[in-house]
Amino acid sequence: MIKSYDIAIIGAGSVGVPLSLYLAQQGLNVLILEKLQSAGRGQNRVAIGGIRATHSDPAKIKMCLRTIDIISRIEEEHGFDVDWITGGYLFPVYDEETEAKLKALLEFQKHYQLNIDWIASEEVDKLVPGINPEKLRGGTYSPEDGSASPLKVIDAFYMLAKQNGADFHFNEEVTGFTVSDNIITDIKTSKGHYSAGLIVDAAGAYSRDVGNMLGLDVPVYPDSHEAGITEPVQRFFEPMVVDIRPEKGSANYYFYQNAEGQVVFCITPDPKIPGTDSDNTSVFLPQVIKRMTQLYPRLRNLRVRRTWRGLYPMTPDGFPIVGYSKDIDNLFLITGMCGQGFMVGPGLGEIVTEIIVDKNNEYDDILKQLTLYRSFTGEEMLK
Amino acid sequence: MHRILQHPILEIPENRKKVRFFFKGKEFYGFEGEVVSSALIANGIQIFNIHKKGDTPQGLFCANGQCSHCTVIIDGFPFKSCVTPLHEGMEIFPLVHLPELPGDDHPLTKHRKIIKECDVLVIGGGPSGLPAAIELAKLGFSVILIDDKNKLGGKLLLQTHKFFGSIEDCYAGTRGIDIATILENELQQYPNITIYTNSSVVGIFKDQKAGVFINNQNYVIIDFKGLIVSPGAREKTLIFPENNLPGVYGAGAFQTLVNRDLIHSSDRVFVVGSGNVGLIAAFHALQAGIQAVGICDILDKVSGYKVHADKIKRMGVPIYLKHTVLSAEGDGQVKKVTIAQVDKKFQPILDTAKTFEVDTLLIAVGLTPVDEFYDMAKEFGFKVIKAGDALEIAEASSAMFGGRIAGLQMAQMLGKDIHIDPGWGEKVDILKSKPGKIYAPVDVNLSESFQPVIRCDEEIPCDPCTSICPVNAIKLDEQLGNIMDIPRYLDGCTGCGLCILICPGLAITLAKKTDETTAEVILPHEFIPEFKLGDQIPVTGQEGEYLEDAEVLKIRYNKKYKTYLVHIKTSLKNGAKITGIQVQNDSAVLPIQNTSFEYIPENGIVCHCEMVTAKELIAYIKEHNIRDVNQLKQIRVGMGACGGKNCAVLLPRIFAMTGIDWKEVTQGTKRPLSVEIPMYALINEEDID
Repeated sequence: MIKSYDIAIIGAGSVGVPLSLYLAQQGLNVLILEKLQSAGRGQNRVAIGGIRATHSDPAKIKMCLRTIDIISRIEEEHGFDVDWITGGYLFPVYDEETEAKLKALLEFQKHYQLNIDWIASEEVDKLVPGINPEKLRGGTYSPEDGSASPLKVIDAFYMLAKQNGADFHFNEEVTGFTVSDNIITDIKTSKGHYSAGLIVDAAGAYSRDVGNMLGLDVPVYPDSHEAGITEPVQRFFEPMVVDIRPEKGSANYYFYQNAEGQVVFCITPDPKIPGTDSDNTSVFLPQVIKRMTQLYPRLRNLRVRRTWRGLYPMTPDGFPIVGYSKDIDNLFLITGMCGQGFMVGPGLGEIVTEIIVDKNNEYDDILKQLTLYRSFTGEEMLK
Repeated sequence: MHRILQHPILEIPENRKKVRFFFKGKEFYGFEGEVVSSALIANGIQIFNIHKKGDTPQGLFCANGQCSHCTVIIDGFPFKSCVTPLHEGMEIFPLVHLPELPGDDHPLTKHRKIIKECDVLVIGGGPSGLPAAIELAKLGFSVILIDDKNKLGGKLLLQTHKFFGSIEDCYAGTRGIDIATILENELQQYPNITIYTNSSVVGIFKDQKAGVFINNQNYVIIDFKGLIVSPGAREKTLIFPENNLPGVYGAGAFQTLVNRDLIHSSDRVFVVGSGNVGLIAAFHALQAGIQAVGICDILDKVSGYKVHADKIKRMGVPIYLKHTVLSAEGDGQVKKVTIAQVDKKFQPILDTAKTFEVDTLLIAVGLTPVDEFYDMAKEFGFKVIKAGDALEIAEASSAMFGGRIAGLQMAQMLGKDIHIDPGWGEKVDILKSKPGKIYAPVDVNLSESFQPVIRCDEEIPCDPCTSICPVNAIKLDEQLGNIMDIPRYLDGCTGCGLCILICPGLAITLAKKTDETTAEVILPHEFIPEFKLGDQIPVTGQEGEYLEDAEVLKIRYNKKYKTYLVHIKTSLKNGAKITGIQVQNDSAVLPIQNTSFEYIPENGIVCHCEMVTAKELIAYIKEHNIRDVNQLKQIRVGMGACGGKNCAVLLPRIFAMTGIDWKEVTQGTKRPLSVEIPMYALINEEDID
């Protein structure tokens, strides 16, 4: 017998889980199909926890402002401590080129009323005491951005979604679909069959596989980023520090101190490491640690505890894919978060729920910007 | 000072350099180069830091650099005291909650990546790793051997007792510490072996490289063709209230303190677990002048060798079978331990509780293989072999032989055309055999000349008494046709005493009838005698039953075997029964009058790094419907310094307590690093030694 739902979400990750909560809160009968063992078992648990609204495009700004609002209130409203810290984001600047780039972006970000500004090098040193002062020109700082624990956030959304009736199926992989007259009539999984009024592809790094089953080209290509965490120490700096200067072997890297007192860090390899292999290599640690200690010498005495690799489900232009499919009437895509699913997910979940349930057209500009049917030729400035 | 000043087996080094250090501003003295934790314990300091959760005092736990319980602040920096050498003038403070990161802001000027190459990387220079490295080196392979201690030998270094097995294959009858020296000397002959001691492998990487933390100072990436994983085992822990008190630790940690560092770490210990490790730990305690108040085991039979257990009982240590530990008690240090009998379902019968006043509780409830590097390497498709305890928990005797085979197998994997004697595999199997059948003791009639009385009646893989006897007067009773068989005395004893000296179980005596009512018995004694000629000393039968007080006739010392031979005059009727000398008074092992305990097992700590109790875990698993160990990270389990090494073995039990089948549960993911490394070391800011 085919079990029928209002909505079936493929993927219980950073995007699917908050979305399931908001849809379930609307009284919809929601199924979540997840091939792994638990909520957030894919890329959510490897996220490092940064949440910023200070992006370079209107859609992500809007979504992440929402996320910050949701996450900063989740303890007060629902009793879940998710380690939210309003530590801000700091982009320290050491060269003219980066200064020009970030200052140009500032104009745009201020236009969207974001709380971000250029600060002098003395201010940078106050935020990150002991940061390498040589050639430090200052930086951009956005005090309202922050961080939270991905593990705790996903658990909070999972618990709330379950309380609201969302039906989570773990260890159950979608294996195929039956489509007739442009409508998915049957979702086939490793354990059974389901039907749903609307199917949401929130499969992240694996969205291309889901698209392939439907004859759709969903251009999400995962690549690997590497992260690590240190022992906990007393708080010694506040913001997420992002160094966007490229170097041989790596693009940007960033780090912050979480609520436990541990420094969490991540680097973007250059060239990219495409694919879904998340096994560690010997390259990462010496590479990222050299860069971090050059920027912030004080870190030298901190002990690294663990490292891991996670996937950035990338799209060709670095922006997510959000919206209805034109080829299949009951398919909604919400994927290709390009490594920002954790910060985008909750806000986007609320917005997509409004789009789906209320047929709200206030977000048409977002859908237009993030449609699957765009040319994918633009480029994210702040990736 | 809490130091061991005399020891029957271990040499107390003289002329060690004394250094002054400060703890909380107060002046203390220790020895240059000894680990800070041992210097602290030698000065009576047991509390090293205060955990932020519940302001809980923490003391030494693994003594192995694997957890972070023993972290102290030294000259402003946090260090794991169990792996940090002591130096003159160190200013040490207990760590309270989280350490402050020092403002060490001078710019980075030096950094480099160090890569070294070898044919085979051997992880762990213990009983299996050393022979593996030797075999490979003999065949011309370049070998890098990594060991996390300052001296090679692994657990052999802690073994003051003589080994079981056979003389030919695994140095039976020789003490572990001496075997370590033999193997190390052999290893040193090969220039194609590079040895890094005080060094830990921290990860095996997909690009067929290993990361190694060298001397607490450098990080070296090793490019290898083959990998031998022989790091040994880690000790399992137990869940009971106050299982995190300073003074509760593993038998291995205890042996490190006592036998390696010569610290009189305790006055009175109680041991949980009657496997060979627990039994030997009690024996080592007694040799170090520490009272062994008792051993308990939840099973109805001793888990280790019967000869070991008998020996311990003869020394005057009671073994409580079908007993479990209910609780430890104390204020920042163990003061009391309570045990009770268990019913058929292994539930404690609280009415049977007995409380003992002890300052240390040793956990010896089994070992678990350290095989995660093997699993990783296997997954990556590397040429890898595991050996020793990493392969299967067994006696070091079988590990030594298995290590040789592992070395040769690796040579084959790397393309060397060699033959491995098929009989070797069989020998390993025999050496790692669990004890077998127990035979009824034999009645011995004494004659006027000395003859061996052998109180060894359980099948175990051991036969040095048969090969040492110069007149072949001891033979195995061929039942199984291998060294598991029971030794029997035939005829023709010359009274040389070699069988007494070599027997690892101290299970052989020489006895003769002196007249119609008296006998003379020669007993092996691995303690510094606290009696003199003419004294009356209490002597016991095979299983520790008191027989009589006997007069000491003669005391001889055999230097080679570091064993005393004590001649006593006994009654004729007991002459053939007497097997040992009681060294511990009955009064030392009595429970106190009033039992005192609070039995709330859920209050026991499961995750020691983050202080998560069984109660918290069970509630979380139930409420969140957990079926994936990785989800427990939300409550910090597995997020601490040890990376889930210690709690992982307890989790099946916790899930069982919530009614969830462990088979349904997804295991925790293991990620590098297995040991924390400071960033300055990762980039080699300081030069390699």
